[in-house]
Amino acid sequence: MTGEPSPRPADDFEGVADLYFAEIRRYGAKRLGPDAAADVAAQTFLEAFRQRRRYNPERGSVRTWLYGIATKVVGRHHRSESRALRMYARLSPDRDAEEHTERVDARVSAEGLRGELGAAIAALPRGQRDVLLLVALADLSHQEVATALGISYGTVGSRLNRARTRLRKALGGTNPMLTLEEQHG
Amino acid sequence: MDEVQMVREYYPEPAAAPAGEVGRLKALLAEPPRRSRPRLGWGLGGLVVVGAAATVAVTLVGGNTPVPGPVNLNGTGTVLAAAAKAEQQPMGRYWYSREVAGQSYIMRPKTGTYAVTGALGEMFSWSDVRPGAGGQVSSRDLPTRPLTERDAAQWRRAGSPSSFRVWSNDHYTTFTTKATSWQTGGIAPENTRFLDGRSVEDIQRLPTDQAKLTEMFLTHPRLKSKDPVQRIWAEKVQRRVTIDGKLAAVGGFLRNAPVQPKVRAGLMRALAAQPGIHEIGRATDPLGRAGVALASDDRAVTNADEYGVPKAELGTYRYRSVVIFDERTGAVLSSQDELTKPGGPYAEMKPGFVTYYAATLKAGWTDAKPQPPAGLPFD
Repeated sequence: MTGEPSPRPADDFEGVADLYFAEIRRYGAKRLGPDAAADVAAQTFLEAFRQRRRYNPERGSVRTWLYGIATKVVGRHHRSESRALRMYARLSPDRDAEEHTERVDARVSAEGLRGELGAAIAALPRGQRDVLLLVALADLSHQEVATALGISYGTVGSRLNRARTRLRKALGGTNPMLTLEEQHG
Repeated sequence: MDEVQMVREYYPEPAAAPAGEVGRLKALLAEPPRRSRPRLGWGLGGLVVVGAAATVAVTLVGGNTPVPGPVNLNGTGTVLAAAAKAEQQPMGRYWYSREVAGQSYIMRPKTGTYAVTGALGEMFSWSDVRPGAGGQVSSRDLPTRPLTERDAAQWRRAGSPSSFRVWSNDHYTTFTTKATSWQTGGIAPENTRFLDGRSVEDIQRLPTDQAKLTEMFLTHPRLKSKDPVQRIWAEKVQRRVTIDGKLAAVGGFLRNAPVQPKVRAGLMRALAAQPGIHEIGRATDPLGRAGVALASDDRAVTNADEYGVPKAELGTYRYRSVVIFDERTGAVLSSQDELTKPGGPYAEMKPGFVTYYAATLKAGWTDAKPQPPAGLPFD
């Protein structure tokens, strides 16, 4: 993020909350579903508030620090994350649901693939899932992910690669979204 | 498009937060925490205890005795008797208190495991009970030190290190043997807040009746709130769900707040009558002072295997919350968390080991404006 420097947590925690509450809440909503979003956001900021004097600007931005805490909070809700992922798969009609059997084949197969992608994300080891989702949902750089999770730069790269390989495998070794996009132009 | 982009598009964009959520969060953050450590410096926190009995403490503090666990005689009535004494104490214009509080951390050098008290801070605070008058809080960090004389011996065997790298919740931190100077903040009346956001004036208007105090302090409406921000604050920050948390929160209030003598007595009776809180009789506080104690039922804590958590910190232990009162005055000598079943980070410790404490050095009512002391405690 560029522009104005962030408020310092120890000096202006309210400023930090104003700036990042909505974004952290969105991250919580994506990872655990809308019902848990407020919980994740509140727990993240309360935890951050308790730690606010330990925030060290030399180690990374306030935003990175908050995503690290939020990811830890999400980790305490392991089961909800699978539920959220199943729910997202159903945002389009499920391929197995009888009332949808008459839909066109291509559409059905896209929905099925959504379900498989969700299941594959849910099945990732937590360390890989955290890295993948900090990159995909929070747009953190590898260095920022390393700082947020307290792991090395090299570990970020290797976890991300392993996560991608697993997803590719789970989806049959193809890139189904790409294929579908091409089909439907 | 790669897998990362696929994943990005898999997640639907969530609805925006309802209006007011961040505002309520900020309002809660303005309240004092359950454990007001001096280093946090928000709001008045502080201590307690009255008069001459408490001043004796400082000379006993040197860690010359192992921290004893409570003595489990039949304690029935001991805290109630102290409450009757509390009721008769005189009050004055200012409430002041000086306390030390710290967390136990385990050092595991090859020469032998020992415990230190880190995040150790001292706080001096006073409040003026006249309407609108406010108060002041001063705090400083104290040198990290071995918890008991036995720990001090192991510390010397390890070469008397002056810095201590320890695991704290979720990261490594390093404590030193340096003290900081007092930081004093004048506190406007509207910012002088105690448990649940009570002002000095609110506290002067509290009822003395045990049942009413139970409803106000031990049956927390926020716990039933549908608003997650309110609920989480009560649960996670004030720890007001579990019985140990209730005891600790009210014990802290009795240490910190300008509570009038009859209200203090009422709160002590309310605590003693709570299911899950027991009078355990005579006990010795972390500074070596004798008193009478309330203890909560114990509770398990598990340190889960998350990334980065050192192996030695993993596992389950049980602890209870204890509040020790001066039986002559009803003042709180200390609040602490005590190990009841070793395990996890405290696997090498014995039951009764103090994992956290806040102890009053001196406190009481006075008519003269209080001043923070110059010398360090423990010297």
